[in-house]
Parts: sequence; C-alpha cells; structure tokens
Amino acid sequence: MSDKNKGLSKVREIYLNRSQRAKELKAEGKTIMGYPCVYVPLEMLTALDLVPYQTCGDMREPVTEADRALPSSFCPVMRNCLDCALKNKNDFLDGMVTIHSCDPQEKTARVWESYTSYPYFHFIDMPITVRPEALEYFKSQLNDFRKTLETFTGRKLSEDKLESAVKFHNRQRALVRELYELTKPSPPGISGTEIIQVLKALTSLPVVEGNDLLTEVISEVKNRTSGLEKKPARLLIWSSILDNTDILQVFEAKANVVMNESCGGIRAYRSEVNFTADPLEGLADYYLNEITCARTFRQATLGEIRKDYARDLQSRFGYLKGIIREWKINGAIMLLVRYCDPFAFEMPSLKDYLDGIGVPSTYIEYDYTIGAMAPLRTRVEAFLETINQ
Amino acid sequence: MAVEKKQKTINRLKAMYPLRAKVNETYLKSIEAIQAGKPAVWGMLNFYYGDPVLKAMDIEVVYPENYGAIAAAMGVAQQYLDRADAEGFPTHLCGYSLTTLGYASRMMKDLNGQIPSEAPLGGMPKPLFLMSSAAICDARYKWFQALGRYMDAPVWPLEAPLPGIKEFSIEDYYDEMVKLGVKHLRDFVTFVEDIVGRKMDWDRLDETTSLMIEVNRVWHEVNELRKASPCPMHSRDFWSAMPAALFLAGDLEDSLKLYQDMYREVKERVDNHVGAIPDEKYRMVFAELPPWHSLGFFDKLAERGWNFVIESVGYHPPIPLDLSNVSDPLERITKFSLQFLVGYYKDARKQNVLGGTTAYPYLKYAREWKCDGALLHPLITCRSASTHLPYVADMLIEKMNVPSLSIEGDIVDLRLFNPEDALAKAEPFEETMEHYKKVRRQEGFDW
Repeated sequence: MSDKNKGLSKVREIYLNRSQRAKELKAEGKTIMGYPCVYVPLEMLTALDLVPYQTCGDMREPVTEADRALPSSFCPVMRNCLDCALKNKNDFLDGMVTIHSCDPQEKTARVWESYTSYPYFHFIDMPITVRPEALEYFKSQLNDFRKTLETFTGRKLSEDKLESAVKFHNRQRALVRELYELTKPSPPGISGTEIIQVLKALTSLPVVEGNDLLTEVISEVKNRTSGLEKKPARLLIWSSILDNTDILQVFEAKANVVMNESCGGIRAYRSEVNFTADPLEGLADYYLNEITCARTFRQATLGEIRKDYARDLQSRFGYLKGIIREWKINGAIMLLVRYCDPFAFEMPSLKDYLDGIGVPSTYIEYDYTIGAMAPLRTRVEAFLETINQ
Repeated sequence: MAVEKKQKTINRLKAMYPLRAKVNETYLKSIEAIQAGKPAVWGMLNFYYGDPVLKAMDIEVVYPENYGAIAAAMGVAQQYLDRADAEGFPTHLCGYSLTTLGYASRMMKDLNGQIPSEAPLGGMPKPLFLMSSAAICDARYKWFQALGRYMDAPVWPLEAPLPGIKEFSIEDYYDEMVKLGVKHLRDFVTFVEDIVGRKMDWDRLDETTSLMIEVNRVWHEVNELRKASPCPMHSRDFWSAMPAALFLAGDLEDSLKLYQDMYREVKERVDNHVGAIPDEKYRMVFAELPPWHSLGFFDKLAERGWNFVIESVGYHPPIPLDLSNVSDPLERITKFSLQFLVGYYKDARKQNVLGGTTAYPYLKYAREWKCDGALLHPLITCRSASTHLPYVADMLIEKMNVPSLSIEGDIVDLRLFNPEDALAKAEPFEETMEHYKKVRRQEGFDW
C-alpha cells in the first residue's frame, strides 16, 4: 500500500497540488467548473460531463488582491478564495457556479463575476427557510441553472443523465460516511487530518475518480496494522468550514478528532438525494433541507405560533446528539471563522444544547490565516486540559 | 453660540419638520399604546413586505435596528453590548443585534419581562412575535432566532429573493419570485391571524397597500427634484423624512399629504434656484448608513460647499412601477417590495455592472445627480452596509471618474467615527474632486 498513485499517498499528493488533475483534464478537453460552496448541486455539472472543482482559500496565502474589492472585516475564507482567483490561480476554470448560501457567498459572487471573465458564470439564489414555497422557489432556481448550463454546453440535461449523476454522488456520500465509520473505534482508524486531505482531494476530482480513490482509502485504512495513537479526548469540531490540515494538527496534537461537522468535513455527505419523478425536486430538497449549515432558518414546527426553546434547540442541533453518542465524543469545539454571522449567532445556543446533553464545549475563533495557529493552540490545550481531568 | 450658527448652514426644508414630528409622535403613541397593553411585534426593516400586513391588522411594530441606534446615541448601548459579550455572542456581530440581545437578556433574565428602567424612549416591550427578514443580510434573521434564548416569542422569517443581475433576465425568473412572495405572504397573514386571533380585513389591506405605493411614489418624485443644480434638498432632510415612507410610520393618508407638501416646497426651490446650502461647490453622494450620532458633521462639510444631493440606497423608495392592474394586494405588495431591488437590474445589466445589487444604484446616482465625489462610510459591525463599498468606489472612478473618500465608523461604537479626522481629509479630497472634474470634462462627461 505504499504505491504513490493509490490511496492515502495519492490523497496527500492531490491535497498538496489540488489543481493538477483539473489541469490535466482540461488539457484532455474537459470543461472545468469552479464552485465555492457545498450548496452547489454538483450532480447537474456531472450529468453534463462537466468537472466540478471547488475553489478553496489558502490559509498560507496573504490576501492582497482581494483588498481592492472586499473590506477587511469580511469573511476571511471568501476573501481568500477571491484573492486566489484574482491572482489567476484558477485560470484553468471554464466557469463558476455561485450560490446565495450566505451573505459572503452572495457578495463575493457579484464581485467575482465583475472582476473575472470566465466563459460561464451563474448565480443561484437560495431561500432561507425550508417552507414548501421556499422549496418550490429553489427548485425553479435549479431549473434556471439547468437552462444556462444547457445553453453553455449546447447539450440537453436529460433526466436519465441526472439520475445517473445522482447515483454517483450518492455513492460518494455513502463512501464518505463509511470512511467516517472508521473513526468510531478507539483509537480511530484514520485521523481527522487524513480525512480532511481525503475530502479536499474529492472536491478537485470528477465524482467517479473520487469514488475510486475513496474505495482505495477505505480499504487501506481497514487493512492498517498499526493504529493511531489513542488520546483521551475524542472531539467533535463544529464549524462553518474546516478544510485545512494545519488547524487539524493543532487539535490532533493532543486529541483525536473523530468528527468534523463542517463544510470541509461530513456536512455535505451526511444524507442522500432522493430519487423523485422530477429529479430537480430531489436535488432541491436535499440541498435546502438536508445540509445542516447554520445559514438555514430551522424551527421545531413550520410557522409555529408558540415557541419552546428546548424544542427549538432540538430542531437546530438535534442531529448532533446521535453523532456524539455513536462516535463516543467527549468534547466539542465550536470553531468560528471570524465574521461568519450565521455561525456566530448560533454559538450561545449550541453551547446551551451541548450543556444540556452533558458534552463539554468551547468556542474558539480564528481568522483563516496561518498566523492564527499559535493562539488557537493555547485555547485548544486549555480546553483539552479540562476534558482530560 | 458660534456652534449654533454653524449648525444652520444647511437650509432645512420647512416641510420636513411636520413630517418628522409625525414620525416622532407616531412612535410615542405607539409606545403608549403598547404600555396600555396593545400587542407589539418586533420587526426588521423589510422593504414594504411585512409592514403593510401588520399595519392593516392594526399591530404596533417596534424596530430593534432603530432602537439600537437610539440606544447608542443616548449612551446606554454599552451595557447591553457588554451583556451580549458575556452571554457568548462574538463582539464582531452587528452592533444593533448585540444591543438587542443584551437588552433582551436584561429584560427577561433580570426583570422578568419588565422594560429596563434605563431604556430610552419607553424601551421595547416583550413582543407578541418577531418578524425577521432575509433581505440585506444574514444577521437580520439569525439575530431574531438567537433571541429564542431569552423569550418564547415565535419568529416569522420573511423570505426575500435576491437574484443575480444577469440571471434575472431568464424567462419566468421574475414570475417565480412573485410566486414565492405571494404564497409566503399569504401564509404570513394566516400566521398573524392565528396569533392575534383576528381575521385580516382585506379591504383595509388593499387600501393600505395603495397608500403605501402612492406615498413612496411621491417620495421618489421629491428625490428626483434633487437632480437640479443647486440641489434643493440635503441628505439630512432625506434621513429625517424617510421613516414615514420606509417604515410606514404613522397614518399613511397624513404622510401622503406631508410628502406632497414637501414636493411642492422642493419644486419651488428648484424653480427659484434655491439650494440646500448657500454655495454648492461639490455635489456629493453618501453611502450607506449615516453617523446618526454625529449628523452635525454634515453642517461642517456644508460650510465647505459640500452639498449631499443623494444617499443611502437602502433607504430610498423603489423606482415607481405601475401596479394599478394588479387586484390582489398580496401580489401588489410583493411586486412593490421586489421593485426595491430589481428596479435597477435592467439598467445595471445594460451597463454591465454585475457586482452587487446595491452597488449599481450609486453609479446611477453619480451620473444622474451629477456628483463630484462619494463619501463612503464603512461600518465595522455592519458588513451588509459596507461590503459593496470598495466595489462602488472602484466602479465610480473607473466608469465615471468620480472619486470616493472613505471614513470608517460603526453603528453603535461611536468612538470609531472621528469627525475631526474626517474633516482633515476633506480639503485634500477637494483637490482630488477638482482634478477629476477636469478629467470628466476632457472625457466628454457633462458635469
């Protein structure tokens, strides 16, 4: 299993040079489509034989170019993403698909479109609630996305192809969940750092290649003879995005991170797209309802005229209880990327919820730069001491 | 006395005073009614979408955003900010939201639902429900959700579609937005009816809607008159007068009459070449939220010949739209509310200005109101009113040779706005404006 072209070795290669495969595919004549957020329905790209490529930030890259377009008191992840684009680091892209999953995504999308000149650029609007009329509207947005993709590619997006793409992406979701099953033992079979590398690699590959890679990784991890070091703390990280190994290594110096509930972790893979008579309906439902980002307004009962805080917390965070139980988590880190309003507003309520189910937690904030690591380490170590006592 | 004299540099509109008095009187009456037991709702500025429904149902609305500004200006916000901080809310969140969260925590945890004695202007009573809005920023619905920690008031989050400028031209796109809006509003009416235990008076809603649209049409026409040179009405009058149209404050028939009076006065000034300041040297556009606590700053700039001729797109009425053939008031409300945003889209697309739904209007303002410069006011804790400003500055200079001056501030932390520092930047900026005035003429612009 030391083959550089297989499994975790290949993952590490891709993680360190994410755009390499996309550039190769581009040279082979494929069309590469960038997207910054997990809410973009990749199935629609795959169905039209377009290669989705997630445009990520780079914590090691100082933001310079994006300063002219976005203020400094703004989501550092999106500033960083835009900065990379303005520095032509994504110049192999044939297009971008952006989405109104949050303010920074929406506002950066506008600026991104204005300052770049990809042959294709599309913005999908997204409602904030999961009400039936909101779902219907979101479906119409996906239908508009379909129309512009068809015009751009000159090909029809058939229901058959879309269904097939849904199967491939659902397969990927199932494989990621299988990968996370391997963090359940103590010590875990795979580290949080390795998982970040795997998931980040997936977002730079066509879905079928990603599935093959996942299959190799799962097999490799299952056949490992020496396990990881068992540490007293088994952590859940809850965040908007955690997609960088530098941060994970800070946590994993003295803990096992067994669950990364963020958009760089399991969030986009926890559930599956249902097959519906109109495939766009299943996609709309999955992307609006199933992805548990704080950007969506959830409540115990739609349109409720009485509010009960305990039921409210359950509707917003209840899914974490099962994760905490099954992965035997004994500490949670609420990791906030500075200026991320949807997650920032959740912090006290999530703490209430975690307190209610007896899980120690701490809130830590960072600014998505490598310079944030030292203070982050101090905060994490202080928290781990309280768990380990 | 010298200060007093300087504060009169801006020639305020006479018609503004009764309009402003009406707004203030309405607010106080509303507080009295609430204190006498009338139910109140906490609402977010929702751009003519939820307000007409509540007005037709005779429900009092208080706006925590506005209350945050009042609390800051009256020096009581800090204790609420400190409290929100202690409760675990990050300090970089919207200052208005932190003020409300701290206030709610104090009211509910310390005082068992009683209004804090230190709360200015009668305070905000515990609401019957919360009406949040997805328009403009994430904070404005997440903040009301977060209030669930302190009060058991249910929340209705108003949807607010936000299309891309290019995508908006896709066939059926607008119709889908309207469909969402009407259905959502219908469900909102049911929600309100269920809570207050009364049925909607649809005739009254119809009448309220028509008046809302007409009030805003007249208000729009007032602002169109400001294109004249010299500009007859300063931004300070705009900010004083706008709540009656934007928040539907007070009786709408009274408001209509008062805005008509204002139109007549402004028209008279235009006809007689009377400006809002004595010597208009520089025509300015202001973005976005003004420093409410330091509005005297504009008098100092007026002394230098800076006339603020247009401002704050988020507070401006929608570009008028003929809705006379739409019989369903909910559809009229929806289309009117959407117009606030998409009224600019066709033009923005034509100009290929795709970056930001609130960015293009500033180019239109600069061109049509013939502005020499822009004063931008980025706010540390209000990202929604700040994020587009670098792009606005970039577009203004690139497309129209109109320079911008950026003066940082905040919505509640008054220390961040330094009027002396800002005034020190005014003189060198005048040289910049003079330079670009020449450049514009060389390049064939007509101002």
